Amino acid sequence: MTLTRTFHAMGTVTSLRLRRDDIHDRELDTVESIFRQYDDIFSLYQPTSELSRIADGSLRLPDSSQLLRENYAEAIDWRNTTAGTFSPHRPDGVIDLSGTIKAKAMSDARDQLTLISPTGWLLNAGGDILTSQNTEEPWRIGIVDPHDRTELLCTIRLKPTWSAVATSGTAERGEHIWRHNPESEFAQVTILAADILTADVLATSILSGGKQQLDHATHHHPIDALTVDRNGTILATPALRVHLSEAHSSEGARSRA
Amino acid sequence: MRKRAIAVSIVSSGAVIIAGWNIGTHAQTAQTTEAAPVPPPTRVAAPPAPTQTVIPQPKTSAPASAPPSIPAQPAPAAPAAPAPSNTFTGSSVSTPYGNVQVKVTVDAGKITDVTPLHLTDDGGRSVQISNRAAPILQQEILAAQSANVDSVSGATYTSDGYLKSLQSALDQAGR
Repeated sequence: MTLTRTFHAMGTVTSLRLRRDDIHDRELDTVESIFRQYDDIFSLYQPTSELSRIADGSLRLPDSSQLLRENYAEAIDWRNTTAGTFSPHRPDGVIDLSGTIKAKAMSDARDQLTLISPTGWLLNAGGDILTSQNTEEPWRIGIVDPHDRTELLCTIRLKPTWSAVATSGTAERGEHIWRHNPESEFAQVTILAADILTADVLATSILSGGKQQLDHATHHHPIDALTVDRNGTILATPALRVHLSEAHSSEGARSRA
Repeated sequence: MRKRAIAVSIVSSGAVIIAGWNIGTHAQTAQTTEAAPVPPPTRVAAPPAPTQTVIPQPKTSAPASAPPSIPAQPAPAAPAAPAPSNTFTGSSVSTPYGNVQVKVTVDAGKITDVTPLHLTDDGGRSVQISNRAAPILQQEILAAQSANVDSVSGATYTSDGYLKSLQSALDQAGR
């Protein structure tokens, strides 16, 4: 009863899961093509992409497409919202929109998926998750243990206000995040939100900005957070803590029965 | 004519200095927006942000002085002598950003925790201060059936790393 499609894009793998089997493959092609379109414009790995041409100086920013400039402006807004702990610039000054583009593609894919199937879909792009808001049975999401990536830290049953889950960490790609605060203590940051762009950007900003940015973000945005620091200490926002504790005790009761 | 040129030059260098000062202030404000000033032992500084939604973090090292535009008002909770462990509640203090009341925990003469009890904004509405992430034990959350999941969230894996990821196992299982 489940349909799964996986494809490579943006340097990672995206998997799409539908709780039905009456969808034609061609319909899912449209979802895949959204990721390719973003890649063609914004990838710094493709030397011919529009953003690569801005980086190498052959295209001036004012001459770039409206889509590119809008995405750049949006990323700048996020930089300002996060006190610079998220940035659309590499340390060498090159415009790098990889921090927002995957989430933007996922958001566009959501619109397409909602047309295909209003309920029962889940999109996982390289470890960041976006789901249909309406689902008969809640999706169960495992959060990877950053200190042993073959294990899960916990399981979260998603609610409509948590239809997006983004995790940033240092485990897979090494220290690829430009740390705003060198004393930042987090090894992994997971954010649950209603939209994937908010979740993704804030996860990155908290990993970079540390506890100070965690407090700021959880206060100013309707999100929940689960963080693991380098010593293994786990922090959770109150709603998530209650949710996890309840899930734990009910699972425990079930396994004892 | 010459006098005027000098005057203009004085004014413009003044403007540069003011702009520079502003930039400096901004940078400092940005850094300290959420890290509350470490309170000196005998008094408690009011939370320093225009948003005044700050949760003081005694462990965070912060600049010794608050940014210039922020009023630091002494709260009455002031332990004079070292005590084993005590909690003091300050009276409500009015600030330009609303009323603030804090609870201070003192351990062996040192402030170990500062908790805002009540924050209200200009309109007198209570400001939510309770969404701060707090420690949780892994044993508390590791559900017995945690392997039974639909999808896995983790730090972004590369295309190569995907094959080693838990998500890859789930996709292959095609559940």
